[in-house]
Amino acid sequence: MIDYVGLMADNLLYLLLIVVGGLLVAIGVHFVPVGGAPAAMGQATGVGTGTVQLAAGAGLTGLVTAAAVMRVADDMLLVIASGMVGAMIMIGSTMLVGNFMYIYGVGVTPASGKVKYDPITKDRQDLYLSQGTEGHGVPTSCYISGIIGGGLGGLGGAMVYFALLSVTNATTALNVIGLASILAVAIFFINAVIASYNIGGTTEGFIDPKFKRVPKAIVASIVVTFLSAIMSIIIIGGI
Amino acid sequence: MDPLIGMGVLALMGAAAVIAGISEDSESNVGSQSNPNSQVQLAPQMMYPHRIFNKAISGEPPSNALMCAIGGTTAAILMDALGMSALFSITIGAFVAALAHGSYSTMSFFGRPTSQSRFKQPVYMDILRGHISPIMAYAFVTTFSIVIISYIMISVLNHPFPLALLAFIWGTAVGAIGSSTGDVHYGAERQYQNTEYGSGVNAAQSGNIVRNGEAGLRNGIDNSWFCIKFGGPATGLAFGMTVFLSGWITMVFDPSISQMIAWASVIAGLLIVLVLIIFNRMIEVSSRKSYGPYKADNDEVTA
Repeated sequence: MIDYVGLMADNLLYLLLIVVGGLLVAIGVHFVPVGGAPAAMGQATGVGTGTVQLAAGAGLTGLVTAAAVMRVADDMLLVIASGMVGAMIMIGSTMLVGNFMYIYGVGVTPASGKVKYDPITKDRQDLYLSQGTEGHGVPTSCYISGIIGGGLGGLGGAMVYFALLSVTNATTALNVIGLASILAVAIFFINAVIASYNIGGTTEGFIDPKFKRVPKAIVASIVVTFLSAIMSIIIIGGI
Repeated sequence: MDPLIGMGVLALMGAAAVIAGISEDSESNVGSQSNPNSQVQLAPQMMYPHRIFNKAISGEPPSNALMCAIGGTTAAILMDALGMSALFSITIGAFVAALAHGSYSTMSFFGRPTSQSRFKQPVYMDILRGHISPIMAYAFVTTFSIVIISYIMISVLNHPFPLALLAFIWGTAVGAIGSSTGDVHYGAERQYQNTEYGSGVNAAQSGNIVRNGEAGLRNGIDNSWFCIKFGGPATGLAFGMTVFLSGWITMVFDPSISQMIAWASVIAGLLIVLVLIIFNRMIEVSSRKSYGPYKADNDEVTA
């Protein structure tokens, strides 16, 4: 019989870390500028794919880097910083090549449909919009927002993985790595989906009015990640 | 590990990643998957029946993650349980994944156009016969490359994740990148060559995709021929950059040597990100200068 209370008491710190990690993922996804299918047709600003998909691609790349570093180092800050950097590189490369597509393949200038001036570069946006579209490409503000979002996703994912790997258990290291990695991916997806529902399709990152909906996602994320964390700790600690 | 051998391994992984990116994008163009497929699905409803393969099993990341995980799992079982060589195991794994992907594609092809029979969209059997082999072939190449990357990471770089999970993660990443980069060339340019070059697709044009090919009626293979010129290689570049750069920082600044060098790898990564931001800004400025503000074409349909 598993001693549930004892298990939770032993791993209270890791429970907290998992919740914070999940929360970071949910907030990070709000930063990633995604235009969904309209963006793939050059009808909306952002990257032409779904929120969850891009965030997962970036966050999981970060998880791979974090796991590689965690194999040789046990400093939590270092592990989560590596996860952050891995995710930032993935999302940075993707958005850069995405802009190659818009500029050289489609022949449009990156422009936002939500703001008149780019808040960082102060460039005029509305004059560069094609007729009948809500923007296209990834202008500088959206790009930086995406980098922040990818970074937070990688940070959160790596934090969850680190916490799960540190949970007290009575099984082999290989089993724990397998379980922790799968559960970290699961908690990542759960939080990415929460953010995706909150955004509802397309967003341009922190310059988008939808960004104000973040507090709702924070509440939902805390509740869901808390439950997921309890289950994950029981799974890893119980075997 | 000797740094030179490490760099060689990384170069091999980068090359495999470029191939995976190119084949992933080509697969999604032949079979019309992911975001631009919304237009292929919409076209018959706008009274534009077509001869383009229509599948979209799911978004590209889950679909690629599934096939890479199947390939990785099969390869791991063959290697561990039957003691087969890595090359044979990965080849057979990729073959099994291609078969699974082919069956999903066939089911999807029958399901999607059939649902549009009320809009007079036929189900062309010759399109299925002609397209299913390239779809499976591209799926094979993608899975093979991804499982090779995952296998090298585990066997040479001692990555702690199991093969199937690593293949799943890289499959998700290649799908996310393919659907963010290469698809734009297919969706915003190839499908809408009937509208003026140099603008996003006017919402009023939705569904009015080009249905005439360079010779005869256009199909998925024609789309792949066009997109392989730019969309495919660019997807390969993006995925190659991701795999190479994220591995490069920990290869050059090996965290196992000391804590200080480990932090240097993080700083090197942040510098790479800074260079990417500056590069992005440069191409944005250059596009604004060379294209100038948008001028509406009077002949085009207004939204």
